[in-house]
Amino acid sequence: MDLDSQEYDKLKVSDSEVRKIVLSYLVHNCFKETAETFIACSGMKRTADCSVDIDKRKPIYNHVLEGNVLKAVELTNLLAVDLLPTNKDVNFELLTLHFVELVRAKDCAGALEFAQKELRDFSEQEHYREKLQDCMALLAYEEPETSPMFSLLSMDHRQSVADALNCAILAHANLPSYTSMERLLQHTTVVRQYLNQELGKDGPPVFTLKAYLKG
Amino acid sequence: MGGDNGVGPPPLKRLKLSIPTAKAVPGDSLVTILAPPMAKDMPADDGVTIGSRGQIRKLEFVRIITQALSSLGYKHAATALEEESGVPLQLPVVSDFRREILAGLWDESITTLHKITWLDDETVKLASFLILQQKFLEFLDSGDTSSALKTLRSEISLLGINTHRVHELASFVMCPSREALSERADWRGANPDSRVCLLEQLQNLLPPALMIPENRLEHLVEQALEVQRKSCLFHNSSEHLLSLYTDHRCSRDQIPTRTLQVLEAHENEVWFLQFSHNGRYLASASKDLTAILWEVVEDGLVKLRHILRGHQKAVSFVAWSPDDTMLLTCGNEESVKLWDTSTGECRHTFNKPNSCFTSCAWFPDGNRFVSGGGDKSIYMWDLEGQELESWKGARMPRINDLAITVDGSHMVSICGDKDIRIYNLEEKSERVIEEEKPITSLSVSKDGRYLLVNLVSQEIHLWDIAVSSKLLFKYRGHRQGRYVIRSCFGGSDHAFIVSGSEDSQVYIWHRQNGELLEVLPGHSGTVNSVSWNPVNPHMFASASDDHTIRIWGLTTNIDQKNPNVGAANGIDHLENGGTRELLENLKPFY
Repeated sequence: MDLDSQEYDKLKVSDSEVRKIVLSYLVHNCFKETAETFIACSGMKRTADCSVDIDKRKPIYNHVLEGNVLKAVELTNLLAVDLLPTNKDVNFELLTLHFVELVRAKDCAGALEFAQKELRDFSEQEHYREKLQDCMALLAYEEPETSPMFSLLSMDHRQSVADALNCAILAHANLPSYTSMERLLQHTTVVRQYLNQELGKDGPPVFTLKAYLKG
Repeated sequence: MGGDNGVGPPPLKRLKLSIPTAKAVPGDSLVTILAPPMAKDMPADDGVTIGSRGQIRKLEFVRIITQALSSLGYKHAATALEEESGVPLQLPVVSDFRREILAGLWDESITTLHKITWLDDETVKLASFLILQQKFLEFLDSGDTSSALKTLRSEISLLGINTHRVHELASFVMCPSREALSERADWRGANPDSRVCLLEQLQNLLPPALMIPENRLEHLVEQALEVQRKSCLFHNSSEHLLSLYTDHRCSRDQIPTRTLQVLEAHENEVWFLQFSHNGRYLASASKDLTAILWEVVEDGLVKLRHILRGHQKAVSFVAWSPDDTMLLTCGNEESVKLWDTSTGECRHTFNKPNSCFTSCAWFPDGNRFVSGGGDKSIYMWDLEGQELESWKGARMPRINDLAITVDGSHMVSICGDKDIRIYNLEEKSERVIEEEKPITSLSVSKDGRYLLVNLVSQEIHLWDIAVSSKLLFKYRGHRQGRYVIRSCFGGSDHAFIVSGSEDSQVYIWHRQNGELLEVLPGHSGTVNSVSWNPVNPHMFASASDDHTIRIWGLTTNIDQKNPNVGAANGIDHLENGGTRELLENLKPFY
C-alpha cells in the first residue's frame, strides 16, 4: 500500500462492528454451525433468530450446487411461493441449469422436451434470447464438454446460480441480499477507481483484493 | 444471381477458374467434352471470339444461349444446340448435383459435390454447410426434431465452421411453429422455392463457369437496355418497354416546345397554375381575383370549365385534392377557399383574421390540409372548417411556400428567406436546409424524395431529401430577380426541370446532367409558373404576367390540329412561334 499507514492507524474500528461483518458473511453463506459457535465465543447478542432462516436456505443452496435443480425449486416454492414467479432472471437461471444438467447426463431427448415445454416462453423475449441460445447450443455437439459453451457445465456456473438464488431468497425475506464484507470491498474498489481517474498519478493506485492480501 | 438470404457463410472470394486456353487454330476441334472422370472436365476455351469488337468469347456465348433456350422451355432446341456446337451447357456431374439439390437428396448431393474437381476444401465445406443446413431446417419444418438434431450434431458441427450459425440452428428447435421458424431462420420454408434459393446460393460459391447463374442472357440484355435508357437525353415517353431491335434514343422532338394554345380568359396577370393529379384538368390563379378550372380535351388541348369567383384579392395559389374532386385556393388575404371541382361552387371558406395565406397543401387522405402564410403560423384544417392543429411561435418565420410529401410523412416549408424546413409529421422532428440566397418557391417530386427550389440568385437547386439533405444540382440560365417564379419536375420519370423566367421565356433543363435543353419564347411577360401534365409527358402549361396561359405540346401535334377547336377561349397557335395574333388582345406589359 502506498498510502501512509499512519493515516490508517489514526482511525479506530470498533470490534463489535467487525464481528457483525464476519457474522453477516457466515449467515449469508449458510455456515450455520460456524455462525453459532462464533456467536457463542464472541459473546455477541443474538439479534435475530437466523438459524431458522439458514436451515431453510442451506438445503436449497446445496441442491443447486449438486445440480438437483428441481428439488431446489420445490423447496423454494415451499419457502416462498411467489418468489420465483417474481424473480424472472433467477427462475431463468434455474431452468437453464436444469437443461444443462440433462445435457450433461446425455439425456438429449429429455433436454429437448424440457426446453420446448419450459423454456419456450423465454425465447420470445429479447432479454433472454442470447443466453438461451448459448444453452441450446450445447445440443449441437456430441461432446458438449469440448464445445465453445463448455463453461455452462462447470461448477462455477452452478455456484453462480446458487448464489443468485440465495440472494433472491434473502431479498424476499427483507434481509440484506449481499454481505457487508462484499459491499465494503466493492465500495473500496469503486472509490479508489474514481480517485485514480480524477487524480491520475498523484492519487492512490487502483484497488485489487488480491494485491492487497499479498502485501 | 441468387441474393444473400442472411443465411450465408462468410463471404468467399470468387474462385478463379483457370480455364486452359489452347491456341486458337481454326479448324481445331472446339472442346474436349465429357471426358472420363478425373480428367480435365471443363470444355477448353480455344480463345475464339465473336462480335464486332471481338469482346465476346464464343464458348461462353453459346453456353448462355443454350441456357436461355432451356429456361424458355425449348428443351429440344437446347439439346440440339449442345450437340451441334459440341459445347455442353454444363458437366453431367453438375447436372446431377442440381437435380439432387432440387429433389432434396442431400446425402447424394454431398457425395456428388465431392466428385466435382476444381473445388478447394473451403468451398466444399461451405457448400456442404448450406446443404446440411437445408436438410436440418426441412427436418425441423416437418416436425422431425430428433433427425434434425442428429444432423446438427453428427454432420453440421463436425464441419467445424460457422459456429455462430450452428448455435443459432440449435436454438431453432424451440420455434413453436413453422412460421416462427421461417421468420427466425430467415428461411422460405420447405417448398420448392427454398431449394431453388439454395441452389442460387451454391451457385454463388462455385465458379461461374461451372454453374452459370440463372437467366444470364436476360440479365445481360436488361443491363444493356438500362444503359440505353439512362443515356437517352431527351427520354420522354409514356412507353415503358424499349425495343430490342434498335438502340433507344429519343429525339429532341419528344419534348413539347410548341405553343398549341393561348388561353386568354384571365383579365390580369396569371400567377399560378397546376394540372390535376389525373392530368384531365388544369387550375389557374390570377390577379384578376379569380381562379379558373380548365378541362383537357383530346389532342392535348384545353377548354374552360368554371370561373371561380369569390376572393376579394388576387389569387396566388391553388392546390388539387389527392382525388381531384376539390380545389383549394388562396391569395394575399385572410381566407382559403375550398371549391367543388365538378360544379365550380365554393364549399367552404376558411378564415383566420390577421393572417395572410400564401400557400396550402393537402394530406394524402384528402380530409385535411395545411395552410401557411405571413402571420408566421401554419394551420391544419379539416374540410368542415375545424382547425385541427397549429404550429406557431417565434421559431416560425413567415411561410412562403408549403408542401406535403405524397406519403404524408413530411411537411416541407420555406420559412423566412433562406430556410427550408422539413418537418417529420410522425416523429415531430425537423431538419433545416439553409440556402445561400432567398427562396421564392418550392416543388416536391412525386416520390417525395427530391425538392426543387427557386432562388432569387437566378438558380434552381435540386435537393435529395430522402434521409439527409444533399444538394444535387444547380440549374441556371433563366432570369429571376424580383418576382416569385416557380419551377417544377416534368416529363416521364421526371427527367426534366422546367421553370418560368422574368424574360418571358420557359426554360427546360435535363435533370440528370443540368444541361439547358430548351428556351421557349412566346409569352410577352414574366412567366410566373409552369405545370407539367403528370399523365401526358408531352404536355405542359405556363402562366404569365401577360394575362395568358399557354399550352405547350409536341411539334408533330401542329399538323393534326383543327383551327376552330377552343376558339372561344383562346386563340390556337398555328404559326411557327409567332405571337402576332395575341399581342393585339393584350395590354402591353409595361
